[in-house]
Order: sequence, then structure tokens, then C-alpha cells
Amino acid sequence: MASRSENIVCMSVASQFFTQDDGVDNMTTTERVVDLLNQAALISTESKLTILKQVQELIINKDPSLLDNFLDEMIAFQADKSIEVRKFVIGFIEEACKRDNELLLKLIANLNMLLRDENVNVVKKAILTMTQLYKVALQWMVRSRVISDKQDSCWEMVSDMVNDINQLLDSDNDGIRTHAIKFMESLIITLSPRMPDSDVPKRQENDISLDRVPKDHPYIKYDILCEYGKAALEQLLKFMVHPAISSINLTAALGSLATIARQRPMFMSEVIQAYETLHANLPPTLAKSQVSSVRKNLKLHLLSVLKHPSSVEFHTQITTLLLDLGTQQQEIARNMPNLKESRKRPRDETDQVLKKIKMDTPLVDDDEDKDLEVMPAVPAKSSAQSSQTDTDITAEFLQPLLTPENVANLVLISMVYLPETMPASFQATYTPVESAGTDVQIKHLARLMATQMTSAGIGPGVEQMKQQKVEFKEEKISKPENLLIKRRMSSLSQGQAISVVGSGVTVNLQEEIQAKRRPEPIIPAAPMRLAGTGIRKKIFRLNDVIKALTDVQVDNLKLSAVRRILRSERAVACSGAAQVRVKIMSRMVLQFDEILKSEVLSFILEDMRNRIDLAFAWLYQEYNTYLSHFPDGSPNDYDECLIGLLAGLQERPDQKDGVFTRLVLEAPLITDTALEVIRKYCEDESRSYLGMSTLRDLIFKRPSRQFQYLHVMLDLCSHEKDKVRQQALTFIKRMYEKEQLRDYIEKFALNYLQLLVHPNPPSVLFGADKDTEVAAPWTEETEKQCLYLYLALLPQNHKLIHELASVYTEAIADIKRTVLRAIDQPIRGMGMNSPELLLLVENCPKGAETLVTRCLHILTDKAPPSPELVKQVRDLYQKRLPDVRFLIPVLNGLEKKEIIQALPKLIKLNPIVVKEVFNRLLGTQHGEGNSSVSPLNPGELLIALHNIDSTKCDMKSIIKATNLCFGERNVYTSEVLAVVMQQLMEQNPLPILLMRTVIQSLTMYPRLGGFVMNILSRLIMKQVWKYPKVWEGFIKCCQRTKPQSFQVLLQLPPPQLSAVFEKCPELRETSCWAHVRSFTPHQQAHIPSSIMVILEASSKQELQTDLPQMEEEDMEQIVASRPAPQEMIAVRLAQEKALKRQLEEEQKLKQSRKTTVPPAPSLEEIMDFREEGPEVETPTIFISMEEESGVAEPDQDGTISAKVSVQPALPTMLLDSKSPEAGQGDAQEEASSVPASSDKESKTTKEAVGDATTTANDTVNEAEGKSPETTAGGTLPDDESEEPVEQGTAEKQES
Amino acid sequence: MPLSPLRVAVVCSSNQNRSMEAHNILSKRGFIVRSFGTGTHVKLPGPAPDKPNVYDFKTTYDQMYNDLLRKDKELYTQNGILHMLDRNKRIKPRPERFQSCKDVFDLVVTCEERVYDQVLEDLNSREQETCQPVHVINVDIQDNHEEATLGAFLICELCQCIQHTDDMENDIDELLQEFEDKSGRTFLHTVCFY
Repeated sequence: MASRSENIVCMSVASQFFTQDDGVDNMTTTERVVDLLNQAALISTESKLTILKQVQELIINKDPSLLDNFLDEMIAFQADKSIEVRKFVIGFIEEACKRDNELLLKLIANLNMLLRDENVNVVKKAILTMTQLYKVALQWMVRSRVISDKQDSCWEMVSDMVNDINQLLDSDNDGIRTHAIKFMESLIITLSPRMPDSDVPKRQENDISLDRVPKDHPYIKYDILCEYGKAALEQLLKFMVHPAISSINLTAALGSLATIARQRPMFMSEVIQAYETLHANLPPTLAKSQVSSVRKNLKLHLLSVLKHPSSVEFHTQITTLLLDLGTQQQEIARNMPNLKESRKRPRDETDQVLKKIKMDTPLVDDDEDKDLEVMPAVPAKSSAQSSQTDTDITAEFLQPLLTPENVANLVLISMVYLPETMPASFQATYTPVESAGTDVQIKHLARLMATQMTSAGIGPGVEQMKQQKVEFKEEKISKPENLLIKRRMSSLSQGQAISVVGSGVTVNLQEEIQAKRRPEPIIPAAPMRLAGTGIRKKIFRLNDVIKALTDVQVDNLKLSAVRRILRSERAVACSGAAQVRVKIMSRMVLQFDEILKSEVLSFILEDMRNRIDLAFAWLYQEYNTYLSHFPDGSPNDYDECLIGLLAGLQERPDQKDGVFTRLVLEAPLITDTALEVIRKYCEDESRSYLGMSTLRDLIFKRPSRQFQYLHVMLDLCSHEKDKVRQQALTFIKRMYEKEQLRDYIEKFALNYLQLLVHPNPPSVLFGADKDTEVAAPWTEETEKQCLYLYLALLPQNHKLIHELASVYTEAIADIKRTVLRAIDQPIRGMGMNSPELLLLVENCPKGAETLVTRCLHILTDKAPPSPELVKQVRDLYQKRLPDVRFLIPVLNGLEKKEIIQALPKLIKLNPIVVKEVFNRLLGTQHGEGNSSVSPLNPGELLIALHNIDSTKCDMKSIIKATNLCFGERNVYTSEVLAVVMQQLMEQNPLPILLMRTVIQSLTMYPRLGGFVMNILSRLIMKQVWKYPKVWEGFIKCCQRTKPQSFQVLLQLPPPQLSAVFEKCPELRETSCWAHVRSFTPHQQAHIPSSIMVILEASSKQELQTDLPQMEEEDMEQIVASRPAPQEMIAVRLAQEKALKRQLEEEQKLKQSRKTTVPPAPSLEEIMDFREEGPEVETPTIFISMEEESGVAEPDQDGTISAKVSVQPALPTMLLDSKSPEAGQGDAQEEASSVPASSDKESKTTKEAVGDATTTANDTVNEAEGKSPETTAGGTLPDDESEEPVEQGTAEKQES
Repeated sequence: MPLSPLRVAVVCSSNQNRSMEAHNILSKRGFIVRSFGTGTHVKLPGPAPDKPNVYDFKTTYDQMYNDLLRKDKELYTQNGILHMLDRNKRIKPRPERFQSCKDVFDLVVTCEERVYDQVLEDLNSREQETCQPVHVINVDIQDNHEEATLGAFLICELCQCIQHTDDMENDIDELLQEFEDKSGRTFLHTVCFY
């Protein structure tokens, strides 16, 4: 065994230690080892090695039982810094494994590690050790019939390492390649069977080889190993023909081949052929001296192969090669495996060795005493078919063709291709051609050419071999050959002048031969070598050819590398490694700089949906890094990553897929900046919903920082963008329902609300970016900011209203106004049944009246007030705050009596408010919610207006109020008005405004004419002249309704009739008289003579002079007497006085109201000028009425005409009744009875007239006093704070 | 990279002049060096070219010195043989034969081609054991005192260069090429294995 002999050497070293041992008393070996190991850990490399060697000696040789104990400690040194120590560990592994094969299980992995060591010397050592241990391992495997799993994996690792070492043939390092070659040699020998003719070195006698592997071994397969061995040889051969092989590698390989050939003669033919090929094609990179060295080596190894008895069949080739290498014939002969020869020359010392080998090996061809001339005959014939290579075949083929003639031609042709100067190496290796033209020489030449042709892949031999290969599927030989061809061809194409096998070679034999002809075998290599030596670039040095890249280049390369990795997404996905890719990339990204990271980021964002895995992997990886240096590290990288992703998402156009939400919710940590990004997201109107729902999820799902997120959401509630704010409010309202968030939200809202108490808006309200700590005034914006949230919560928590009220009382007017405007929606949301709201109404804090009123308005705007509300308001009104305005909202909830009671106060309010009151009462509120039924129907309302005590309210307000009623044409239809007039007429005394209403009704509905005539007639019966105002109206009405009114006029008692004519002369002159004269005489007969007198008198215009006379008469008398022109005059005088004043006023008003006054119809103007009528306001009213009437008339045509069809009959009836009266006695009586009754009344009305005049005066006075106010906009509120209410209402109505 | 010191052997034919000169210089420069001869006998010049003094390798330098001193002191003083032997005996007791030495070297430098061939033949004929490589370099030196001294310096320089390379096996090829250019000589170089 190899190790044994080594052990002996080791022993001698070890003996020194043992002597030392003896000195150290009787320490046990264990103690000693422990002691040494402890020392070794601390000391320098050199002494460490000594100590470790001692330990190795102790535990391997002295007491192997300790080996297991200290194995780990020893192996631990494999991580030592010192190369020598590591190398030692490798040696130790080898020794240990040899000692105890089972240790392979443990140590093979360590060796594997060391095989990958960064230091070449360690790797080399490991390769050497593997050379030994492979055999050990194989033997161990073969020995054990049952293979455990561990053993199995151990062997697998060994095999892997073998493969790895094979790969090292391509290593950059020359030394490693050399070692790998030696390993291959050993491997090939081990994996091929030992034959009887094999050389077996004594040391390796017991080494395992393939023949010792049982063919029935359960695990180790003989065939596979055999094939593996052959493949290794092939690899080695292939390696050897590499054109750039270094000389050292080449020498090593040559030696190895020689060894293989001697120990495994079965490979002899391959080896010899490899030698031949090499000789003919020496690598062009070799320098001159290297060529000499290689040739010397080749010669040496050929000689050593020659000595081997099995080389006999190849003697021709070997001899030829040796001769070409310049070997002397004698020397060749000396090395022939011939005992006799060797005996003849015992003087040479090398023969001693040779002899030894020869003695050892059975000599087959001993007695063959061949001459060189005889030798050629041997190989061709005797060589078995199996050993006949393609070169042999081609050579055989060529041999007969090489006639002197052909050869001469070849030489001539090839002269052209010779280089200008003779290559130095050619000169060096040139040996004169001996025995030219002899068979041997021809054969030699044929063989040389055959080698070249085979190398070039042409010739019959190659083809034949190819066929064979196809048949047997054996590729052994062709591989190196083909490879070589390729290389050669490539060098040819690069323009090498001399080529042995030119591109012009055809199948034509002759040409082929000519092309083949060449003087010396090494020539093909020569030009290349020339180039090689000239340039002196034999050894490739990385450092010489590379240049350092500039930073920019490095960056660009990095970037493009990353891009390539990124773009490979699909390819990786197809191969099913997407997950792994994500994993690797996420780790990789961590080490990137900013630029690369942003590259990755934009890659992810390109297709976020599909790359979200990567995004998360990255994010978590960053987080992990952050956590790993937790207390110290900052999450900056993580933050950047998260922000990058979020911000990137924000820039993307549409995000319906919820990637954003997912990212936020699954991110391990939401940093402050990230929160800011989320906030921005929320602030983006188009995404606020997504943003906020994400935020909401955060609030619910991350309780630890809940309030931080909630705060953001709350902030958004006062955002300036309407849509964002609304969205936020919606979310907050929903969150407000959650118990745990309620308090916080409420507090926040309250804080904001209470800001309103400050005189100036606090800086909180402005974004951090707006640096306005200066006392800016409140604006509507800022005010609203404070309100939104609070008001949104109001419908959900009614109790909040009280705090609002108290803030309201303290706030400045501007803010109050804003509050009033803003509470619309929330109050509506609360509803009028809210107990808290009722409580507020009940308590109505001082200063909050307007607020309460506003609330009431809002509540009753669309719905009728509830009884509770009405009750509260009524209580408030009656007990604490007697402001009628409180009642307005609940008007419809009040009783009829109460309304009528409040009416005078109500109509004195601002016209707009009054309008609203009427809207409520008449149910003409805009909107559809006017289901409220007023306790007063329209008719009753109008009557109530007429009945307002003029001491409680000025006439002007009443007139305005009635005008409002007439404005509602839909409500006050002709029927309603007829009923009203009917009822008013029946009252006693007659309301002052009766006739005004009649005229207005008539103007609105001219079809009421008949009915009005009826009314007028009945008024005459009620002695209308006793009510001066009404009487005036009566006359005016008659004036307007002529000629219909003539019939009525004619019913008047004469004094009154004349008074009428007095007032309106045109009635008498033009129409009435004409009317009467148009009567038939019969009809005329019915007219009382007194009347006729007046009619005639008036026509003579005598009455003008009479009247002053009558004036001079006692007024009392006139009044008392039945026809009382004096009375009329008196009245008229009084009226004229008043009217003059009124007129003046009116003109003033007209000037100021010019815009509102439409051009008056000519008729009215005439009436005004001529009559100076008392109804100053009527023109305006009439005008509007007339205009309207024209439009509305046709609508009601049908219905009215049907209903009022009786009316036109009335006057005729009267006429009819009168005509019999005139003709018959009873009619006379009737007629007389009317004045009689009017007589009675006239006395009583005398006072009333005086009253009336005073009232009229008063009215005017009042009007005078108040007119400026009216022009300014109606009655002013006594409370300053009423203004907002009205403005608010105005605004509302506008909107 | 701290390398273990190079183990060098210098080999000439008789382990007298060229190898010993190099041995002398190399050991002075701190190399671990040994010197050998490859011949079957130790041959020293005699009174005529065909009458050399022949000793076996067991003979010490001192014995040779005394022998020659006794034979012809004047002649051997004049041709410097005695001086050489005197130096040699101060380096080591007796000449050594390369083929008999089983020690392991990293580098073997031979002084002529014939010796190189013999070394290779010997190394290749040994049974391989560790497969540890050894580089053999031939530096042609004529066998006289002057050339020996020059050659010794050349060898020393070569060894120093090799010693200083990071990775001797990887760099040696190029190194030798440079050396060839520089010195105008050619070196044979090969690798063998123990």
C-alpha cells in the first residue's frame, strides 16, 4: 500500500516527537493532543505547522482511536489564513481517509470546499489528494456490498469532484491544469482494467483498477466506469491538441500519455496516434526553446513507450517519429524491447533501469531481431483491424501513389507556398532525409501525409472511420480530429500562407496528392510558430489585455445589465423560475444604488399588477434590513422604496385594480412620508375614494396607529376641494358609528368648531405651507373649514347642537352668517322631532335666536311643522321672546285665531319675509313639500287682511299684503275672489279696502264684470256713499265698467248720482246721458224724473255754479237731507286736501321707483290727471293686473263663463225689475224705499265720514313718515341680527 | 503572497564546478538548495584530457583534495581544481548523485543538455507517488570556472525571479521567455512528477 511506505517516512519524523514525549512525563496521548491543539490555535504559522504535524502523527499513527475525537478540531484549521496550514489540512484529510475509509463520509465535503479554495496552491494540493483519495474511495465502495445513503451521497460527491477537476483542464492557471492532467492520468488508469502486459509500478500493485471492480457490484457499475475512463482519455487527448496549449501542459500530457500507454497498452494506438498528430502539428504558440523541450520530451516518452513489449505493432510509427525527432538509430535499437540488445550494451546506465522493466514484463517478441528495413512490414499486416486507425488506412492508400514522378510534381507545386525565409524552428528540427526513394522512406512519407490529411479530415481512412463510427456509434477518435480540423481551418482562413491541405483541394486524387506533398512534417506548424515567436504572445495574460473601464462605462454597463435582468422576466417565467427570480432580484436590489433602484422601480411600475410580487419582495427585504439594525438604523431605504412605489402609482392614470390599496395594507410599516403620499392620494379628486377607503382600512386594520391615520382623515374633512371634503365626511360619518373612534372624532370636530370663537382664524386652518401667522381675517372659507366636520356629525349626534349654539352666540357676525348658511343640510338631517333640537328651541340661548329661527325655517321649509315643534315655538313666543318672526316657520301649525292675531305684525315685516309668510299661508312655497295645509284658506286670509284693525297696522302694509295675495293668481281664482267679495260686502261696516279689491278682481278677471255690477248694486243698497273711501272706489269702479255701470248709476239716488257726475263729468256728458237717450221712451219713462233732471242739468252745466251755492249751505243739513250735494262737496274738499298731499308724495315715490313702474296705460293717466283720484297706489297695481289679465283670461274662459253665466243677467234683471217699477206703482214704491233706507243710514255715516277723513289723513301722514323707510326696503328689524336671516332667505330663494 | 521557500536542486555532471558554484551562491542568497551530479562517477581533469581523475560519489571533497594535492599540487593549484575542492568541502562533505536522492524538489536546474536528459530519464523512470510536479530547467554552462561563475549568477537570478512570482507554475513559462530574451540563451524546460 502506498500509504504504508509513507507512514514509515512519517514515523521517522514522528520519532522525534516521541522522544519529546518521553520527556514530558506520562501525559496521556489525549492530553497531549489537547495541549498541542490549544497551542496551535495561538501561535504563528510555522510553529503551528510543526505542532499540527505532531498532532497528526499522534492521532493517525500512534493512537488512531483518537482520530475521530479530534477530527473536528483538526479540520477546523481548514479555515486558517495561512495557505500552508490549509495545505496541511488537505494532507491530513488524505492521511485520515487512508487510515479510516469511513472518514470519507465526513471529510469529502471539506475536501470539496478546499478544492474551491481561492488559493491556487491549495487547490493544487487538493487535486493531488483527490488523485489518491479517488482510488481509496473507489476501493472502499467496491469493498462494501451494501451501500448506505450516506455512502451513496459521498460517492456522488466524489464523482462530482472528479468532474470538477476535469473541468479544471480549462482553468486559467497553468499549474492547476498541469495537476488536472496528472489527475486525469490517474483516473484513466484506475478506470481501465489492468492487463497481463501492463506495466505495474510496485507501489501501485495493490491499487484498485477496473479489473478489480466486480461486474456484479450493486452500486458501482463496471461498464459505466469503463466508459467514464475512456471518456476521460478522450478528453485528455482533446486537450492535448488544443492549439494554444502551454508547453508545460503539453509536456505533462505527453508524460501522462506515455504512462497510460505503458500501464494500459490497450490505449497504445490512441497514444501513438496522438504523438504523431502532435509531432506533425506542434502548437503554433510555442517558442523556439519550448519546441526543443517538447520534442525532447516526445522523444523521451516515445522511447519509454518503445520499451514496452506491447508497442511492437506500432514500432514502425514510433521509429519513424523518433527518427524525425533526430534520434540515432542506435539509440532506437537500444530501446527496443529486446533482451539480447540490452545485454549487448550493458555499459549504459539507463539500461539498468530498462533492463529491470524488461525483466518484469513478459517479452513476447523477444527473439525478433529486426533490421530497420524489415520493420515496415510488421505493422500494416499484423495490426489487427481494431487497431488500424484512419491514418493507417490513408497511409496505406497513399503509399502506392507516391511514385518519384508524383512526388516531384508535388514538390514543384508546393514550392510556390514556401515562405520567403526559412523558419528558425524548421532549421532547428530539420533532419536530412535518409535513404530517399526507399520503400521505408516512401512509407514514411505516406504516413506523414496521411497524418496531415487525417488532421484535415480528408482521405479514405477518415471516411472509413466515419462509417465505422456511424455503425458502432463510437466517437472516440473522431472528436479530437474534428476539433483540430476546425481550428486549422480557422487559422487558414486568417490568411496563413502555407497550408498543407489547401482550400482548393478537390476529390481528385492527383491534386490531392500534389497538395499533400511536403518536405518536412513540422512545416505546417512553422509559419504559425513564426508568428508566435515574433509577437511573443505565448502566454495569455489577462492584465495585459484589459483596460479599466471609466466610471461612466461601469455605470452604463451596470445599468444595462440590470435592464437585461429585468427584461428577462418573460423568459424566466416561461421556465417556471419566476418565484426564484423575484427572490433573487429582491435581494439584489438591496445592494443597488439609487439609479439602479429607480430603474427597478420604474420597471415595477410599468406593470404593477403583474410585478407586485417583486415589489413586495423588495419592500419586505428593505424592511427586513431595517429591522436587523433595528434600534439604530433608519428606515430610509424602506421609506424610499415605499414612497417610490406609492408615488409611482399615484402618477399612473387609472388604478381600478386596487394595487394601491393592497400595497398600503400589506406594507409592513407606513412611514410618515408614506402617510403623506396617501394623503396626497386622497386629495386627488379623481382618486379620493380609493385613497380614503384605503385610509379607512388602515384605520380599522392597524389599531396601534389608528388615531394617526384617523387624524389625516379628519384633516381631509376640512379640505378646500369640495369633492374631497365630501368624500372624507362620508367616510368619517361612517366611522363615527364605531364606538372606539367616536370620542376622537368628536373631540377633533369640537376643537375645530371652537376655533370659531377666536377673533382671527388660527394658523391651524392654513396648510403648513401657507405661512400666515399674521392675523388674517376670517373668510368664508376658513369659517367653513371649521364647520364641515362638526355639521356632518350633527345628524348623527343631535347633542352637538348645543355646543354649536353656544359657539354661535360667541362668534362674530360674519361667522354667524356662515353658520346659518351652512346648517341647512345638517338641521334637515336632524328632523323636527329631534328632542335635542326641541330642547334648543325651548332654551334658546341668548344670542342664538337667529340660529333657532334659521333652524325652524329649515325644518319647516319642506314639511309642515310637527305639533311638538309648534308647541315649543309658541311657548317661546308667548313666554320669552315675543318676536313674531319665530312664528313664521310654524305658521301652518298655529290655529286660525293665532294667525289672524299675528297677521298685523307679520305683514309689517320686510317685504321678502312677508312674501314668505304668504307663501306659507297660501301653500305656494316653491318646491313640492307644500303638503302643509294652512289653517287659513286663501279666502279667509284675504278677508282677514281686510279686517285688520288699521290702528294696529298701517294701510300701506295691508295693501301690500293684499297685493301679494292678488299676485298668486293660481290661488285667488275668480271664484275665490267672488266669495271674498261677497263676504266682505256683507260685513258691516264695509272694509275700507273693499272697492279696491273689487276693482282689482275685476281687472284680473274682467268676466267678473256682471258679478261686480251685482256687488255695486248691492252696495248702493248698503248706502255705499256713507263710506267715503268705498264710495270713491265705487265711482272709480263705475267709471271703469261703463257702459255696464250706467244701469247701476241710474239706481243711485239723485244726489249721489249728481255727485258722481260732479266727480266724473265725462260720465254724464258723453255716455250716461247718451245711454239714457238711447232708451226707448218707454224705458225712459222708468227713470225717475229727479234723475233725469240731474242728467239734463249736468248736460247744461249749470250744476257747476249750483254746487258752490250748495257748499255755502249748512253741511249738516245737506248730509241729513236725502240728496246731499253739499255733503258730497264737503267730502270732496276734505279728500282733495288729503289727495293733494298724497299726490305730491306719490310723485316723489314715482320718481324713486321709476324703474319698477311700467308705462301707465293712457286711460289711467287720464283718470289720474283729470280726477286726481284718491287711489294713488292703484295705478301701479292696476297696470300689473291688466297686463296679467290679458294673458290669464282665455284659460278660465270656459269655467268662468259657465259659472258666471248668471251675472250678466243680473243687470238686465235689475233693469227689468226697474222697468216695471217705472211703469207700475209697486215699482215706484220699491224705488222710493231704497232712498228711504239710505236716508236712515246717512245720518249714522255722517260721523263715520269724518272719521274716515281723519283716518285717511292719518294714513297719509303715516305713509309720509314711513315712506323713506319703505323705499329703503321695508320695515327695519329692531334686532341687528335679523339681517342675516333675511339675507339668508334671500339667498336661498335666489338659489 | 508568502510562499514557502523554493526547494532547488542544481545538477551538473560531477557535482564539482558548475553545480557547486551555483550551490554556493544560492545558499548565500538564502535558498534551500542542494547540488548533485548525474554521472556514474565523479570526474576531475587530470594531467591529460584522456586521463581524468575519477572518483566514486562516496569520496569526500576533502579526500579528493588531499589526493590531488598529493598527485600534483602545482598543476591542480594552477588550474584551480584545488581551490574549487577547497570551496566545495566547505559547502558539503562529498558530491551527491542525483539519481540516488529521493528528496523532493520544486525546481531542478541542470547545467547541460546531457545532464538534463539524464535527470528527465531518471525522474520519468521513478515510480510516481504523489504526482507532485517538479520543474526541470536546463541552463547550458560550459564546464570552466568563469562560465561556472557567470552561470551561477544566471541561475541565481532565475531562482530569485521564480521565487518572487505569485504563482510559480503559472508564471514560469513567461518568465523563461523573458529570461531567454534577456540573456540570449535558450532554456530547456519541462515538468516531471514525483
